[in-house]
Amino acid sequence: MNDALKMQISAFVDGELPENETELLLRRLSQDAELREQVAHYLSIGRLIRQERVLPNMNGLRSRILAELGEEPTVSVPAQVKNESRLVRPAVGFAVAASVALLAIVGLRQATPPGEVPAESPVAAYTEPAIDDELLEMHRRHARTASDHGSSDMLGRFVAFELREGELVEVVPDEPRADDEDDEANETAGAEAATTAQEQ
Amino acid sequence: MTVIARQALATAGLAATCFAIGCGPLHAAESPQEWLEKMSVALAETDFEGTLLRRQNGETEALKLIHKRVDGVINERVVSQEGNGLEIIRVGNEVHCIVPDRKSVLIEHWNDQTTMLPRLPGDADSIGPQYNLAIVREERVAGRNAVLLAIRPHDEFRFGHRFWLDEQTAFPLRAELVDGNGVLLEQIKFADISLGSTVPAAALKPSIDLAEFTWYTDRVRPEPVPVATDWVCDDLPAGFRIMSSEQEKLTGSEAPVTHIVYGDGLATVSVFIAERRDEPLSRRHSIGATNTFSADAGEYQVTVVGEVPEVTVRRIALSMRRDGDTVSTR
Repeated sequence: MNDALKMQISAFVDGELPENETELLLRRLSQDAELREQVAHYLSIGRLIRQERVLPNMNGLRSRILAELGEEPTVSVPAQVKNESRLVRPAVGFAVAASVALLAIVGLRQATPPGEVPAESPVAAYTEPAIDDELLEMHRRHARTASDHGSSDMLGRFVAFELREGELVEVVPDEPRADDEDDEANETAGAEAATTAQEQ
Repeated sequence: MTVIARQALATAGLAATCFAIGCGPLHAAESPQEWLEKMSVALAETDFEGTLLRRQNGETEALKLIHKRVDGVINERVVSQEGNGLEIIRVGNEVHCIVPDRKSVLIEHWNDQTTMLPRLPGDADSIGPQYNLAIVREERVAGRNAVLLAIRPHDEFRFGHRFWLDEQTAFPLRAELVDGNGVLLEQIKFADISLGSTVPAAALKPSIDLAEFTWYTDRVRPEPVPVATDWVCDDLPAGFRIMSSEQEKLTGSEAPVTHIVYGDGLATVSVFIAERRDEPLSRRHSIGATNTFSADAGEYQVTVVGEVPEVTVRRIALSMRRDGDTVSTR
């Protein structure tokens, strides 16, 4: 799923996608099984997350999510829906991450100021740019691997999250909205209730 | 041992040899290795709640930390006592990071071993001859008697550790990472702690109503694949050995990256090797005790990350080459 499409879906969910683009998007969703599957997967995650808040025992959450993803994907967008975007909205509850950039709790907010280039450095071009996404990702990978190998570094022990535009997926619960309470939405809600009952 | 005597010992800063005289038969009978092993067990088995102070780069922050095993599954709740009031809720491998002022929740997945507290290999024998382990003295931490275990490196290529272990349980009440000159790099310590406490289930739940929050998750990415690599380090500091070699994709990039991990039993160093996309670039970074050094190696960019001194990441980054290359490609 490329960024342009994610933006489109995001706008669609927010009700801000122009009608002609909405038409194209829905047609594409109706024709693209793989895309529908991706949307359905994220919907599944969102639904389970919402359930978790009311379930007394969250222990099986991860396994339930995995089980859900392993199931036959739900076709969230009925193929026949073309112009009734409001019917589809609760089903396509998927949006790309907003441009939220934050560093939680510790660590990476405090990159040390640029140091002097050591005189003995054999490297000609020597810079110390601000920490970039790639380096941040390497830090995280390293922290995780260090933990796998039995020791964990102080940085890695704390969570250093950065929500980067386009890199994280917003998971939106697909509960019916007030303005979407029609037969289609009720069907969706009914299916969810059945799923909840099965899992409990 | 009286308090006065203990203070005198602390003030004098006596070394390990003196400690054996001053600290009685209990500690004399137990080796540093035994303390390390007890610490590993205590970390794995002890429920606790307390206030943790974390100091890095001259700043201190306080965190409320609750840790409890429920049917063998780790449950944790961390609440920042200042700043944005961030909360982390962990149930097993599922971790939710709640950021109140952003009305956001980020879902992460940790492995079973990840812990909020310092952890060393359970097998103390894996710590090689590059380190010296010693019981140094007794001190009070968080209102409890603690034994100070010092792990000192013999050379400039690694940092030292100090652990203040609860005298009764060996639970780490305070931990420090220090450089070769004994200068503090990072520190965590409990201001107060209750060990083996009965934590009510409600204490592990978020304190915030998340109804209006937006939930984020990371993309599903393929797991790293173990690979045999032809990259070698020509000038690996003594004691480091290869721990793993994998191929993986980093977030934001489709190009595979070779990730080699070296370790000396305590410190781990990651080497990331990727095809170079831009002009040759060398750079370094330092975050707390984690140092990074990047260098180009022919058509590749080598980036080394580790909780080791800069001299170590630099040395490894500048001595990576593909096996079979007779000379460095830089």
